[in-house]
Amino acid sequence: MLSWEYPPRVIGGISPHIYFLSKHLAKQGVKVYVVTCDFPGAPAHEVIDDVEVYRIDSYKNPSPDFATWVYLMNMNMQRETAALTRKIADKIDVFHAHDWLVANAGIGLKHVFRKPLLVTMHSTELGRRDGLHTATEKMIHETEAWLTYEAWKVICCSDYMISHVKYAYGLPSDKLVMVPNGVNIHNYDSDDDLKDIRSKFALPEEKIVLFVGRLVYEKGIHVLINAVPKILSKVNAKFIIVGSGYMKEQLLNIVRSMGLEHKVLFEGFMDEPTLLKLQRCADVSVVPSLFEPFGIVALEAMAARSPVVASDTGGLSEIIEHDVTGVKVYPNNPDSLAWGISKVLLDANYAKYISENAYKRVQEKYDWDKIAKQTKSIYEGVLGEYHKSFWAKAT
Amino acid sequence: MRVIIFSWEYPPRVVGQLSGYISALSTQLVQNKVEVNVVTYDDAATGQTKEPSGVKTFKVANPVRNHIGVLTWVLTLNQEIERVVADIYYESNKPVDLIDVHDWHFIPAAVTLKNGLGIPFIFSVESLEDHRSPNANASYNMAIKSIEWMGFYEAERISVKSEWMKDEVNRIYKVPKEKITVISTDPSVWIKEILKLYNSVTETEE
Repeated sequence: MLSWEYPPRVIGGISPHIYFLSKHLAKQGVKVYVVTCDFPGAPAHEVIDDVEVYRIDSYKNPSPDFATWVYLMNMNMQRETAALTRKIADKIDVFHAHDWLVANAGIGLKHVFRKPLLVTMHSTELGRRDGLHTATEKMIHETEAWLTYEAWKVICCSDYMISHVKYAYGLPSDKLVMVPNGVNIHNYDSDDDLKDIRSKFALPEEKIVLFVGRLVYEKGIHVLINAVPKILSKVNAKFIIVGSGYMKEQLLNIVRSMGLEHKVLFEGFMDEPTLLKLQRCADVSVVPSLFEPFGIVALEAMAARSPVVASDTGGLSEIIEHDVTGVKVYPNNPDSLAWGISKVLLDANYAKYISENAYKRVQEKYDWDKIAKQTKSIYEGVLGEYHKSFWAKAT
Repeated sequence: MRVIIFSWEYPPRVVGQLSGYISALSTQLVQNKVEVNVVTYDDAATGQTKEPSGVKTFKVANPVRNHIGVLTWVLTLNQEIERVVADIYYESNKPVDLIDVHDWHFIPAAVTLKNGLGIPFIFSVESLEDHRSPNANASYNMAIKSIEWMGFYEAERISVKSEWMKDEVNRIYKVPKEKITVISTDPSVWIKEILKLYNSVTETEE
């Protein structure tokens, strides 16, 4: 399992993904070796939840730019993984790479050891940048295309991402497999009293509307801000915005100009224990994204039994079943969003109904044990094909 | 003996003097009953050929066409080098005895192949980054130097073409002089010295 991040190194969503996926694969009897970048204070080798974790020298000299660093880091990752694989030669059946950040290492190891390469595409340069504008973006896009070309199978976390990746790199359909992302429902198991945390953020008569995400255009936070007065005309609520981003100042100005600073709180980054509690006491969790490969925040809210209102786009369209596990609204439409949020806040029975269904859906579909089982069966399928190939015979 | 030579230039692609040198070297080696596989870069004429001299060549192109510098260009090309060496390695019962790497470009591949498949390599120095870009300590130059350093560290032996270069490798990279062999440029003994060097590596391996 190759990944540029693994706890305690956490940069984005890949780190927790690798942590839970490897842990639950190990529970299914798969021997997992994670090779990842080093992190201050974290050991070069340790065993976590039956997973062997190796942290490589991630190239710490100054690099001309981020992309060049990625390729230099891959050189080191390959060198150390090659030595490790040789040491445990007959034990490695499959290399599993996550995103272009470990493309070179994955491709090189595949050929040197003649073992199948699997790839999970968490995102694409084309989607992140909305087009390819610079040489760096084109280079990364091509590296992604090369990685998916070399892969035996490409795993994506939603049907939306499957069609996006298929179009972006011109891949045949039978190469793509959908395995959803997971959420750890036990994060929200606790029985502790939520009164304290609730009273910290809202008055007793106020409902809590929660947004968690980066304050950037694609997350649609401006749509929520524009919907605030429309919602307040129907129901008394407090809007809590968790996360930071380049739009923060602009959004603060809009809220000030509307005279609603006492109703909209910008909390910035929040420590995990507080956030988990806040997610549990939110009367509604809002995901107004304009572009969303998966939508893990919606899943977290569902696991926390908070009713979800999300825009009908990308991965969110698949996670939420309208009127059953949540409310879907038109993307980039404050009126539609205000309608959805007010509906949940004004109808307690409805809110209870969708949040209970949502919790059940998370247990059924987005449970890490299930995801690990699906992933394991992909490994087995690929190995079955591999053993019939000339590569298996030659090695 | 079965040898693979890495060079980023080989005729008809001529960038500097290395191209002609590799051609002469591989031809001479074949005449001395060494099986020679030259793995090199060519943007268009990719694939495998056997030249009239008996030298086998394997040419690869870069799988990524857009780049932001020589470093990213070189680093994506290295996986193609590894792929071709794996083809040579797995598709014959005879072992690959050693890889002779000329300059830094394909050092990353040689290092991976050594660590992964146990193929020893010789780092043959044509020139050093410190001489090509004197006093240049930008992160770009430092990265190339770090690749040269890794090559010196991981190589079984280092070959140079002059006593001066031996001193320079020792001075700049603190490589012990015992690890460095000076190959004479005298045409009457040149190839004999190379064969001796190759044999010294393959014999210690066995």
